[in-house]
Parts: sequence; structure tokens; C-alpha cells
Amino acid sequence: MSGPRRLSVPRRVAVRAGEDGLPLEVDGRAVDGVRESWLLEDRWWTERPLRRRYWELVTVCGRNEVVFHDLLSGRWWRQR
Amino acid sequence: MALIVCLLLPRFQLTTAAGGRDELLRGPAALAPEPGSQQVGEVSLAAEAFGVDPGMRLGEALARCPALSLIPPDPAGVADAWERLLVRLESIGAAVEPERPGLVCFDARGLLRLHGTRVGGDADRVKGVVEAARRAVRAPARYGVAPARFAAVAAAARARARRPVIVAGGRREARAFLAPLPVALLRARPALAELPEALERLGIRTLGELAALAPPALADRFGTAGVLAHELASGGDGALRPRPAGEFLRELLELPEAASGLQLERGLGVLIDRLLARRERRGRTLRAVVLSAALVERGGTWRAPVVFREALADPVRMRLALSPRLALMPAPAEELRLAVERFGPPASEQRALLKDPAAARRERLREAIRQTRAAAGPDAALRVLEVDPGSRFPERRALLTPFDG
Repeated sequence: MSGPRRLSVPRRVAVRAGEDGLPLEVDGRAVDGVRESWLLEDRWWTERPLRRRYWELVTVCGRNEVVFHDLLSGRWWRQR
Repeated sequence: MALIVCLLLPRFQLTTAAGGRDELLRGPAALAPEPGSQQVGEVSLAAEAFGVDPGMRLGEALARCPALSLIPPDPAGVADAWERLLVRLESIGAAVEPERPGLVCFDARGLLRLHGTRVGGDADRVKGVVEAARRAVRAPARYGVAPARFAAVAAAARARARRPVIVAGGRREARAFLAPLPVALLRARPALAELPEALERLGIRTLGELAALAPPALADRFGTAGVLAHELASGGDGALRPRPAGEFLRELLELPEAASGLQLERGLGVLIDRLLARRERRGRTLRAVVLSAALVERGGTWRAPVVFREALADPVRMRLALSPRLALMPAPAEELRLAVERFGPPASEQRALLKDPAAARRERLREAIRQTRAAAGPDAALRVLEVDPGSRFPERRALLTPFDG
């Protein structure tokens, strides 16, 4: 039996970030501007907590991207 | 004469609920009372040494053994593990009659030519059947073989792991085997649960003493219970009623955020849609289902069997029947499951005298979806269902579920 298919599942993305954590490149495309950034924390009372720093960005080619940095694993993900 | 094999797994519910935490079972432990009850379930050997018995009130059990560990019951896990074990037994050709989780009987006569050894009488040949069952079950069970079910259960209770107790012969031999055993064994039958105490007060302590009494005298004193007890003590019992071979159809939904209330109802809707879209259903209605859940923070599991008033294939009516059960769940759930226990007859569509265009369109759409699914599987026609639209995490907001037409 296959599980239910969720929408908006995060996918891995290559992000180069500065020392302050600000994304500079997403998939090799330079970041033109940051539209918004927010922090999400949840399930901190369980063994599988979630801590994410989201960034809504515009790249130089005009693409709108939403990426987040998993603050526990250190990986970057794209989410639509 | 029948050749009944009894398989007994002592403390099956307790062991399943404890999972891999064997160190818990080495000390005094008991299954915590079910919601709404005050009585402990199965108890460990160490707890028995403190005088704690299954069915004892929690307060009394704790008074007798203050160090008693309480393990949350896991009815869904027990049902799953038990079903897997029964299916393994059925895979060797056994027509099983499960009595309760941990105790099952089957008649070995039909299996002697298949699994029995080639030499010796039935009693020797049945060892091959027991060995086949042992290989299939892959669990440390105890086996008893006797001409009747009651004697087989008594034999299994006296057996050790890897050493089955086999009572060869017929009714007379079964009666001789049972004769020195205590009348307390009759408690295993719910209809006779009260009888042993009365018999002991009258000085009848063994099944042999009971069998020596005249049946009319027992009927005068105890009614039908007395007659049944005499029949059992004399080495007889009713015929087995094996369960019909079933189909196992189940859908489960993991809930990343412990869910309750509206989210749970939406999750239930997803499960119903997915279950109805399964190819194995083959257009049949559902007569009985089991709704179960894994509770948060290792709170065990919860299980609710539901029999519909009439066999259903309508997702809306199924939701109406099942949603109120969700309110009975004692804690938020991490995982929700819905399994078919029994199918009904195939769904039939009554045609109206005057055809409604909207109904005709719906019917065409439903037929198109049915054909698409037949060709491409249950995921061929999907719709987006908002499970938790207010969640801060986008992946939790919506999922794809089968389009119910």
C-alpha cells in the first residue's frame, strides 16, 4: 500500500549563504532581493522537533523562490 | 474422532504491548486498565508472584505490589500481530478458530497427509503438523493435542515450549488426562466462569471428581452450565467453528502533527476515499470496519470495531457513521488506520424512472473514473483535500486523495 501523496513536499536545493545566513545563490542563480524571512519552530516537545528559517527570495532571472534552512540538519530545501 | 491442536501464547497481549522492552516484563508489570475500566489486564510472572492477577482492580494490584509497572494497552497492535499469526497458520492449511488473542485451535485431521509423518498412528503423525505450525508461527508457543478442544487447551497449558503434550486416543483417554486437573480450568469458558468456585465449596476439586457425578444431578443443581461442565470434564466438547478465510485490506495515514478534532475527521475522510478506491474491493460494499490509531507520546493504541447498519459503499454515509467514534479516542493520534473486517454484497445502483441529467453526468463521470482506475490503478483520479489548511508548514496543509466521483 502506498502512503497518501502530500502536496508542497520540500525538495533539496543547492544554496550558497553568507556568514549571516542570508542566501546569496539558489541553484547557481544569484539572489537579487529578499522579500521576506521568518522562523518556524514546532514539535519541540517531541523527539523530532522542527526548526526552520524560511526565505522568500527573488533571483536575478526574476524567479520567486521560497527556500528554508533546516536549523537542525543544516540542509537547504525548496518549498512551493 | 477429531484431532484438535491448540496453540497457546501465554501473555500475548502483555508481550505485544511491551514491544521490545523485555526488561519491563522481567519485573512486576501489568497491562494498564482500558479507558473506562479499573481492572488491570494480563500480568507478568513477577507480578503474579506478588499476588496480582489479571482482572484485579488497579488499586488492589498497586496495594499488593507498589513497584508494579503499568504498560499502556495496545489493542490495535495486538489485533495486527494476532491476525498475522493466524494468517501464517492458515498458510499451512489450518482452518483456525481463534478464541482470544494468544489462544487458537484447529483440527489437524485434514493436515495429516500434508504435514504428518508417514509412520505411526495419528498421535505420532500429528507431531509433523505441530512442527509445521511451529515453523509457520515463528513464536515461542505451547502446543497441546487432544480429541476435544477443552482437553487440547488444558494440554497446551501444561505443555512447555518445544515439548507439545499429546493426548492420544478418544474421549476415554481425554477424560483420563483431565481427571487430575483442577476444576478451575473451567473458568476459561465464559459461560462457566462462576462454576468452579461453587464446585470447590461443595468439595469437588478435580475434573475427575466432576466427571464421576451423574449429569442429571448436575443439571438439577447448576442447569445447562452443569451439563456443559460435565461434558467438558468427560473429555467431550462442541465441534470447532473455524473462521472464514478473510481478506486483509487496510489504509493508514501518518499524522506528522498529533491530530485531533477537525484534522482527524479530514484524515478519516482520506482513509475512507483510499479504501473505497482499492482495486481489491471489486465493487463490494463494506459491512464491518475497524478504526484504530496510534496515540501520541507512546500512549499505546486505540481500536474501535464498527459494524454498519447496512453494508455501505457511500463515503458520505461512512463518514457519518465513523466520525462520532473519533471523539472517543483518549488522546491525540500520530497515525490513523482504517481496515475492512468484512465485506458486504456488491453495490447495486437502482435506476430512477425519470433520468436526472445531473445524475446521468455524475454516473458517466463515476464510470470514467472506474475505468481509469481499472487501467491505471487507484491513484489514477485524485483530488486535493485540505487536511490542515491553517498549518504553518506548507506540506501539512493538503494532500491528494482518490476522487470519489
